[in-house]
Amino acid sequence: MQLLAATNLWEGVSVVEDLMCFSPMLALICTMLAVVITPIIAGRQPKVLAGVAILGTVVSLAFAWRVAGMVGDSGVSGLSPIERSGMLIADNLSIWFQFLVLFFVLCITALWWVGSADTERDAPEFFILLLGSALGMMLMVSTSNLLMMVIAIETASLPSYAMVGFDKRNRRSAEASLKYMIFGAISAALMFYGVSLLYGTVGSLSFGNVAQFTVDSLLDKHVSLALIAGLVCMLAGISFKISAVPFHFWCPDAFEGARIEVTTWLSVVSKAAALMLLMRLVLSLCAASGGTGFLQVLSPVAWTLGIVAAITCTVGNFAAFMQTSVKRMLAYSSIAHAGYMLMATTVFLYPFEEGAGIGVSALLLYVVVYLFMNLGAFGVVAMVYWQTGRDDFDAFAGLMRKSPWLAVPMVICLVSLVGLPPFAGFIAKWWLLVALGELDSVYPNSSLGGLGWFLVTVAVINTLISLYYYMRVVKVMALEDDDGPSYSSNAAGLAIVNGCAVILIVLLVLASPLKSMADRYAKNLFIPVAVTDDTAARVALDDSSIVEGTELP
Amino acid sequence: MDLLTLIVFLPTIGAILCMFVPKQQARVVATAATLATFVFSLLLFPTFFTDGSDEQVEEAFGSAYGTLHHVVRADWITGENFAIEYFLGVDGLSFPLVILTTLVSFLACLASWNIAQWKINKSPNAFFVLFLLLETGMIGTFVSLDFFLFYVFWEVMLLPMYFLIGVWGGARREYAAIKFFLFTLGGSVLMLIALVAMFLYSGHVVGEGGISSAYRPDVMLTHGTFDLIELATNETIQDYFNKNVGGPLFMGFKFAPVMFIFLFIGFAIKLPAVPVHTWLPDAHVEAPTPISMILAGVLLKMGGYGFLRLCYPIFPSAGEFYAFALATIGVVSIIYGALCAMAQTDFKKLVAYSSISHMGYVLLGIAVMNKTGFQGAMFQMIAHGISSPMCFFLVGVIYDRAHHREINRFGGLWLTMPKYGTMATIGFFASLGLPGLCGFIGEVWVLLGTFQAGTKFGWAYMYAVIAAFGVILTAGYILWLIRRVYLGREREEYREYSDTSARETFILVPMAILAIALGILPAQTVFNYTNGTLNLIVKHLGG
Repeated sequence: MQLLAATNLWEGVSVVEDLMCFSPMLALICTMLAVVITPIIAGRQPKVLAGVAILGTVVSLAFAWRVAGMVGDSGVSGLSPIERSGMLIADNLSIWFQFLVLFFVLCITALWWVGSADTERDAPEFFILLLGSALGMMLMVSTSNLLMMVIAIETASLPSYAMVGFDKRNRRSAEASLKYMIFGAISAALMFYGVSLLYGTVGSLSFGNVAQFTVDSLLDKHVSLALIAGLVCMLAGISFKISAVPFHFWCPDAFEGARIEVTTWLSVVSKAAALMLLMRLVLSLCAASGGTGFLQVLSPVAWTLGIVAAITCTVGNFAAFMQTSVKRMLAYSSIAHAGYMLMATTVFLYPFEEGAGIGVSALLLYVVVYLFMNLGAFGVVAMVYWQTGRDDFDAFAGLMRKSPWLAVPMVICLVSLVGLPPFAGFIAKWWLLVALGELDSVYPNSSLGGLGWFLVTVAVINTLISLYYYMRVVKVMALEDDDGPSYSSNAAGLAIVNGCAVILIVLLVLASPLKSMADRYAKNLFIPVAVTDDTAARVALDDSSIVEGTELP
Repeated sequence: MDLLTLIVFLPTIGAILCMFVPKQQARVVATAATLATFVFSLLLFPTFFTDGSDEQVEEAFGSAYGTLHHVVRADWITGENFAIEYFLGVDGLSFPLVILTTLVSFLACLASWNIAQWKINKSPNAFFVLFLLLETGMIGTFVSLDFFLFYVFWEVMLLPMYFLIGVWGGARREYAAIKFFLFTLGGSVLMLIALVAMFLYSGHVVGEGGISSAYRPDVMLTHGTFDLIELATNETIQDYFNKNVGGPLFMGFKFAPVMFIFLFIGFAIKLPAVPVHTWLPDAHVEAPTPISMILAGVLLKMGGYGFLRLCYPIFPSAGEFYAFALATIGVVSIIYGALCAMAQTDFKKLVAYSSISHMGYVLLGIAVMNKTGFQGAMFQMIAHGISSPMCFFLVGVIYDRAHHREINRFGGLWLTMPKYGTMATIGFFASLGLPGLCGFIGEVWVLLGTFQAGTKFGWAYMYAVIAAFGVILTAGYILWLIRRVYLGREREEYREYSDTSARETFILVPMAILAIALGILPAQTVFNYTNGTLNLIVKHLGG
């Protein structure tokens, strides 16, 4: 019955409905055009342009809401008509991310309004770049086609390079941008090479086919070098976006040199987008290897991802120790958190078993909480920077006295980043640990055995390590003082950081709704499966039923 | 509103008020909040009041472990396959500690009244806000019976404590504060692993239709549980956790021993037991007087409470397995703490090391797993919760006047300050374990329990002898201390010192009265309220 429903859904897909799926992105594209046109009509007034961007983003959010309604309980909606091969898809994962990224555009605009609007000379360019990278990230999570993936990643990356170097007169900013771009170009080249190898080997660009081919060759123990090289190169490109070790070197430099709004922007969504893309790849691998060889095939992949995750968060945390700049420290902390989130992708569960979405759910929830923690922490760093022109530790001395309304939210955000109750960072980490533990509970005494608890141990030890450097900031703020004058901070800026702090408390006290929402969104996903004739097929996944990929006439 | 919810969150309400009152009024609001909390906590007494007859005891404490009073149960974070509850309740194990917490908090709050005269002159509002949040965390830890909630409250205590030591502490306050934080968090991350694992593993045995709850009729468990009572008393879960052969494995090790160790390390750091005790002398020496009182009076008890609430009832098999190791740690703590105390010249550090020694008795009493041992350990916790805040306050009184704590520079203080000297004698003799004062009963019970355990554990006799030797060491350093500080010739430089003020006397007298009352009437003041539950735990352990 479920199969039938899926097929009917497909048949019912009209062009209008297809375009609806794409509407949040279309709205963003229109907004970008509007941002270009507005200066011609209204002059280059930063606040007017910000208004246009906000309006466009809100419209895009409204469309995303509409798409969420269409996606509904089945979790999957129409595919783009282009080749009908999963070029563009709208499912719960992409919807969740769209809400996240669009909301974050609004947050970044607000932060920009507080700190840069009055001095901004290139507002149209800034917003085009911001919206452009948002568009690219949204596309990253809404595709199951390698070609589209490559285009999406580049759409997200190119504006990011320019944004990092946006302060043209600042040498560090230019240097950071150059470093970021060189690293980005190399990893993009690797990724293109990898994707072309994969296409040459598999003969298809759809995630499902690549996954099926990989699984089949692993089961046959006949793995061609081209396949391995292709996969590794492709993963390298994604790892660059995640800033997973050893592709993390750009991260601290780019984050330190960039303007603080840009740093905040990159630290959350660009990583989240890449992680969710990786999640979709992982899920298609899981779906492809259903059946007897499940563990045999997936264990090596899970272990690889797990070890990369463990190394990433450990390296990030240890490197953060030595930093003298709070901004740079937070850059390393974002590497560490990317490591935690990467752990969620190792929760390989055969997708049709109960509890299938547990890893996805943990990731979705973590990303949301992480958004608020990072926005709050970077927001405070930004306010201090705008006040003093510095972002080193000493700039924070005596902040508790100078401006308690900055220092207290900073403490809350930092403690939340450590992952301690009573703040939401704990809840995020908690569900991640439960997901990892579940992995070992479902597959005890297997080749996967021990991975989950190994990662749990790594995560909690890293929590302990990270406490020290986060508390260094708290120590400087509360325990030291340089007898400087009190701050008179912008009220809107205070509202942003304090809002984040309140949300972090509320998300712990009222943790249920977010969790159940994440669970619901994690369950019904578009999982790409292999198809013939390069036609698309979908699996509507829920607890009870297995839906095979359907062929289209 | 439920009584326990009120007791837990009344300090939080006080904290919110404290944010908005003028500087001078903060201490009044805080004192009112702590006093109100104390008064409300006294309302728990009638539930546990018995005349000693079997029926009344059974009514108050139940016939099996897991009988609770003033239960508050509500869903907190729930989903298809998990249910984290807001689950509070008290039994004979937690309720005396709740009263102790509210009392010590109230007295410590009074001890902070001279905050304006402290060297560190920072916002008193912030001090009292953090103080009250700390109290919420402490009470919450003792009354929450959902493991997740317990963990949250446990961690809630850390941050206020960090600031209270780090901002208002002595010269090396930053080092002491972060050391406290790192040590405690080091223990609690292990506890976090245990929390995840116990939840998931308890879900393994549930099966398709679920299993019926051990103590709640008509409730089916359909997934893993966080309920500490359920984990301890549900036979299916217990059999699974403690199965000797073919039981569950955690990363290749037997489940129960690994979990026990994870929890144990977390609690042992808080207790603190040698060799993870090193945060304590630093934290105590640097912390301001009222915070030292809270640390010694309440926070150390969380360790002992954790053993009795989590480690032993849930993993009895592991308790037996580790008995020797734990008793060894206990005995080493007793002797090592006492020897260290003897070597100190800093007044406060001496009291801090004596705490380590005294908490060693708690660990020893629990490790031998019999009624007398448990009762002694519990009594020792309460007695130490009264005598050590008193000692710390006595140190604080003289430090406020002399601004140093060098034992060898004092002398003849009894002559200079007669009231203070009298109180000090009571306080330190109570700590020493003089018969007739509170410290005595706990130590004797623990030693008796250890001897009794000799029939089960061959090493216990020897340990009882060694631990008894610790009593002599304690007497040694306390008598020597009293001679150096309070006796002898009156010194010129201290002659001008005023005797204890009315406020100081008001803080010392209740503790002195309790120290004597507990020593003379141990049954009426403590045992009657604790033994019921402790005996049930021992019965549950198969003893």
